[in-house]
Amino acid sequence: MYPSASSNFQNYAAYRTQTASRDHSFVPPCQAACPLRMDIREYVDLVAQGRIMEALQVIRGGNPFPSICAYVCTHPCEDACRRSQVDKPIAIRALKRFALEFGGDRMIQVETQTTHPEKVAIVGSGPAGMACAYYLRKFGYPATIFEAHSELGGMLRVGIPRYRLPREVLDVEIQRLTQMGVEIRTNTRVVSLDLLFDMGYKAVFVTIGAHQSLRMGIEGEESPGVIDGATFLREVNLGLKPSLGDKVAVVGGGNVAIDTARTALRLGARKVNILYRRSRAEMPADPAEVEQALEEGVCIQFLVTPTRIKRQDGQLNTTCIRMELGEPDDSGRRQPVPVEGSEFNEDFDTLISAIGQAPQTPGDFRVRIGRGSTIQVDPATLSTNRRGVFAGGDAVTGPATVVEALAAGRLAASRIYDYLQHRYPSVSKEEREKLVGDLLPETAEMIKKIGRIEAPLLPAEARIKEFEPIELVYDWETAVNEARRCLRCGMGAEILFQDKCATCLTCLRVCPYHVPHLDTTGTIQIPVDQCQACGVCVAECPAKAIVLRKPYDRRQVTEELDHVLKSATESKVSPLIIGFCCQYGLFGTGTLANLWRAAKAGIWIIPVLCIAKVEANHLLRAFEMGAEGVFVAGCGEQCARENTVAWVRNRVQKARKVLAEIGLEPNRLQTYVPSAAGANPAEWLDRFVEQIGGVYLASVIMQEVKVDSR
Amino acid sequence: MIVAEQKPLQEIRRMISPYERVLILGCGTCMTVCDAGGEREVSFLHNALRVAQSRSGNEAHRFLEYTLKRQCEPEFLEMLVDKVGDVDAILSLGCGIGVQAIAERFPDTPVLPGVNTSFIGMAREQGVWDERCAACGDCRLEDTAGICPITRCTKGILNGPCAGTKNGKCEANKDMDCAWVLIYKRLERLGQLEKMRRYYPMRNFRAVPRPKRIVRTPVAVGEDNG
Repeated sequence: MYPSASSNFQNYAAYRTQTASRDHSFVPPCQAACPLRMDIREYVDLVAQGRIMEALQVIRGGNPFPSICAYVCTHPCEDACRRSQVDKPIAIRALKRFALEFGGDRMIQVETQTTHPEKVAIVGSGPAGMACAYYLRKFGYPATIFEAHSELGGMLRVGIPRYRLPREVLDVEIQRLTQMGVEIRTNTRVVSLDLLFDMGYKAVFVTIGAHQSLRMGIEGEESPGVIDGATFLREVNLGLKPSLGDKVAVVGGGNVAIDTARTALRLGARKVNILYRRSRAEMPADPAEVEQALEEGVCIQFLVTPTRIKRQDGQLNTTCIRMELGEPDDSGRRQPVPVEGSEFNEDFDTLISAIGQAPQTPGDFRVRIGRGSTIQVDPATLSTNRRGVFAGGDAVTGPATVVEALAAGRLAASRIYDYLQHRYPSVSKEEREKLVGDLLPETAEMIKKIGRIEAPLLPAEARIKEFEPIELVYDWETAVNEARRCLRCGMGAEILFQDKCATCLTCLRVCPYHVPHLDTTGTIQIPVDQCQACGVCVAECPAKAIVLRKPYDRRQVTEELDHVLKSATESKVSPLIIGFCCQYGLFGTGTLANLWRAAKAGIWIIPVLCIAKVEANHLLRAFEMGAEGVFVAGCGEQCARENTVAWVRNRVQKARKVLAEIGLEPNRLQTYVPSAAGANPAEWLDRFVEQIGGVYLASVIMQEVKVDSR
Repeated sequence: MIVAEQKPLQEIRRMISPYERVLILGCGTCMTVCDAGGEREVSFLHNALRVAQSRSGNEAHRFLEYTLKRQCEPEFLEMLVDKVGDVDAILSLGCGIGVQAIAERFPDTPVLPGVNTSFIGMAREQGVWDERCAACGDCRLEDTAGICPITRCTKGILNGPCAGTKNGKCEANKDMDCAWVLIYKRLERLGQLEKMRRYYPMRNFRAVPRPKRIVRTPVAVGEDNG
């Protein structure tokens, strides 16, 4: 049973397990790009349907700390999103944030039980350590986190500025960890792993991060007034307020450099210059944040690097040199080359170098250190050269993203589980195929262009005054509309019953996106990488050979219909009116839910995932079960597709013909499409109800007259 | 392909009225392609009959639906053997051939035609079919530039056009092209206009025995094949 909009959490979980077996869908690019392999397509679609609680459940199923990701994730999913071939990618991170805020993530408690005696120590409380603890608890192991600082969170606490990740969010997640029974030891620096083993821990996960700033290697770097970015952010984030003076220079072009510059602005620096030795195209920082920094007044000097710092009269007289881009290096970026004789001097009060960080692993850990001071591990098991010692996060990869750290933590937890169970690591394999390939131009052209709706930001002037979070959350309607832009990659139609297919070419002729085609053997093919899952061909196929991958198939409408009819007959309302309504538009935004409540009694709504999936058969079935009136309500102009209503009108026409032939008034079956011009759906519905009431009354009277005349 | 049209619901209801248990039998080939009796139409008709029944109140049919790959092959019909015993009649949504094949295979079960088999034709676009061939058994398309005057000319004349052609349309229907104008234009395009000047004698349809049968004489195993 596909759950209706009112069904709760547990139902959805049960339903997902049931349907997993019939999941033919491909792994969409967003999911493939996500280090946590989150089921993005699914939760975006649930948001589009307005089923926020279920969306939240999907999110929580794939991410131990979704609220953190909702603020700071670098969203590789959005970079992979195929919608960018049409217009702009889906705002996945903002949608996740919406689902968390509106779904009530803070209220969720995770139940755990200790079922195994072996204790596991986690050195470091960054995202990787926290994720590892979370999953170890879920597996039933006691876990202890050791943290050198006074508070948990690692880089989330000391690296990421408060305006990007509010501390309350982090505290809620840590609170949850404590509730799950994770033992926490703050202000405890681990110097030797042997000691941990002596204390009775059976396995250790080393996730100490990369906190050591790299040195610029120039003259005068040791002068007072020159600090490194990681230290600066740590001090500010732990509550200190370093005095910076008016004019601050930040060296580097990564996310830390941008965070540093924006933090400096918020601490009251008048002028903040970022010095970056390459050009904007090569900048590793998130472009959106670079944009925000520029809005806030940060000045970025490209192709400039400092070569010497001299302290004079309390100021840093900095000699810089201009660069030009030469040949590409190993990383594929063009190597900056100094331009001779282009030196110039500039005075700063403070210079912060943020040119990169490296892990600093205590020698007593006796783990093998590799390139860039990182800990060497087996990438499949995260095990180090020492038995029972696992490592992950920035300490292994060098500075990376939060979501990668979370993925490493999760992997470590399952590998530690395997290790403690003395079994061969079970490498989980994705069974479904990955969706690859771009949209064909002719398909992309037919997809309705709908602009991406960015999450609102605080205005730049308000932002730089304080450390308030700058990104606001969507409202309900905006979120639903943004989520509806999803192309549902890899979920499309497939000819499931090739033996039934009569190669009538109906699908090829009706597809709005020109997706089905004949191959050279004369067999019809519906390429999964192009199909938009609109469902028109599924309903039109005369052989019923086509299904949509996933629960989108006709079973959804049919089962929903059966469910509603059953409850409707039990409730004995009359006259019974059934409405097939687009779950995405009116229902998703809540308009329809209100309408439903406001409507006169006797209306039963069947939410459908786009009315193009309603077949003439469904309409007749409603009448068969005793409905006196049936209507199909689309979502009107906000529809993410074009002309879906034309298909519905055809099918309504077909069903009306049958009604006429058996002596029922054809106007008992109607299509309703709201227009933007302020039409009130409630009014229309009331009129329809009245009309059906009249028809019904007339038929009842007729019946009695017939009986009397006998 | 054979093109057919589903019969009006009322006619179908009248036909099935004496029978309680009815098998609605679709055909997965031509009838699926022309949208008259594929699996989807079978279930649509099933639903329509049930709505009708629920509204009239004094009918008590029970329906079964099934779709064969082709009703016109004896081997496919064998799949029905188990089902036929449970029903009082078969409502076939196959073409006339299907109906007759069923009648021949199941002599004790009444079989009812659910569609009007209309013609041999082709799809013009989604949902539109045109007649193209009369299956006359004596193809002259070589002489008429690939356009059949037997089917496409209202009169079916072999030496056209007649006097009723006007602006390339037929006098019988202003929306219909005159087949002979089409033939002329295409012959002109092919540089074969001399074919218009020839006289084609009447054909003697009496010489064509009905019903026709084609026997492809097989070479028997063991015979001298040399």
